[in-house]
Amino acid sequence: MAYVIVDTCTKDELCVEACPVDCIHPKKDEAGFEELKQLMIDPEACIDCGACVPVCPTNSIYTLDELPAESQHFAASNAAYYGK
Amino acid sequence: MPALAQVLAENTREGALWEPIDQKRIRCFACGHRCPIFEGQPGVCKVRFNSGGKLYVPWGYASGVQCDPIEKKPFFHVRPGSLALSFGMLGCDLHCSYCQNWVTSQALRDSRAVSSIQTVTPEELVRTALDLGAEAVVSTYNEPLITAEWAVEIFRHAREASLLTGFVSNGNATPEVLEFLRPWCDLYKADLKSFQDRRYRELGGRLQPILDSLRRIHAMGFWLEVVTLVVPGFNDSDEELRDIAGFLAGISPDVPWHVTAYHRNYKMLDSRDTKPADLLRAVEAGRRAGLRYVYAGNLPGAVGGLEDTRCPGCGETLIRRHGFRVLDYRLTSEGRCPKCSAAIPGRWAEHPRRQTAHQPFRPVLSN
Repeated sequence: MAYVIVDTCTKDELCVEACPVDCIHPKKDEAGFEELKQLMIDPEACIDCGACVPVCPTNSIYTLDELPAESQHFAASNAAYYGK
Repeated sequence: MPALAQVLAENTREGALWEPIDQKRIRCFACGHRCPIFEGQPGVCKVRFNSGGKLYVPWGYASGVQCDPIEKKPFFHVRPGSLALSFGMLGCDLHCSYCQNWVTSQALRDSRAVSSIQTVTPEELVRTALDLGAEAVVSTYNEPLITAEWAVEIFRHAREASLLTGFVSNGNATPEVLEFLRPWCDLYKADLKSFQDRRYRELGGRLQPILDSLRRIHAMGFWLEVVTLVVPGFNDSDEELRDIAGFLAGISPDVPWHVTAYHRNYKMLDSRDTKPADLLRAVEAGRRAGLRYVYAGNLPGAVGGLEDTRCPGCGETLIRRHGFRVLDYRLTSEGRCPKCSAAIPGRWAEHPRRQTAHQPFRPVLSN
């Protein structure tokens, strides 16, 4: 099912530090970090554990099911970042 | 009544299986997730949590205590016909959509899973096991790795009473937790639910830690039996069954492999139930890979002789079973085939007793 990050993300990387499977990119030392406005979750690598949700200070991470109507397109943009 | 999460938070103590990462995080290594856990947060399992820079873990309770035939675990090569005093806790590090124990495993994740706990002591559990004539104490029903510290405390007492001890686990372990368990744990049932990383991620895990753990469990000398719940359309392609069987045969052709039937449950309601023919196909895959002990489970009486143990040397039927019932037991006191004397791997009883119960029952705990 996977979690999805929306554009209120501030790229603080707390989610990256909580993720047990390293499925959130780009990280500060990776290409694209400066250009991209938000972090993205790889939907096929995500194990749907939810560890990222409570540590996000801006509440920018949702399950696919709970993604607000106006944010539906972020599911596709997260996946597209990983070429999926 | 206090919420379950509150009750659980009170029944904890500092764990053994963790290390600091930095100022704000610690790492738990009780299971293959190796969760980095922030202050005030739980790990993926929801029962191990960081408080004040230390990891706290479940202690002092059980969500259920039951006496099971050891065949139900399933262990088919351990004291056949004996009783296993079985205790469950709550929570799991995976979230399989077809879980058959979801009321306990998903108690902290799914509000529909209403569970409760009872406080118990290791002494009570061990006395109960002895009073009932059980030969093993087993941590089961939910994922035991996430409560490994408490299991070891119980196992220490069980060992003193000369009982066998075991884990019924999804196999998502770490080298550290296996080293922690090994001095106190004899038996290890692990799942191999798929041979595709993509599938494991759907269940909330990864394939590699499982494969590494299965190899390690065997190499460390736990008695290992492996279960694959055969779910039509999920993991039952010929190719996948071949890959699973080949991997297990690579560990050892003597590892018993249980291919068991799924029935629709929890959230996975679209797959059909497993039929005998599906299990026969899996058994064939196991035999072709060279596995010597492949069992078809969960469809008692519907799979011909595939619940029985046969001598790989001469073909003699050594143990006949129907479900959890042991119909005939013919191994010698040294665990050999009575006809050709081939040694059969397992943890056999020198003086096997008659099976006293072939159905689970709830015991009254001994004081």
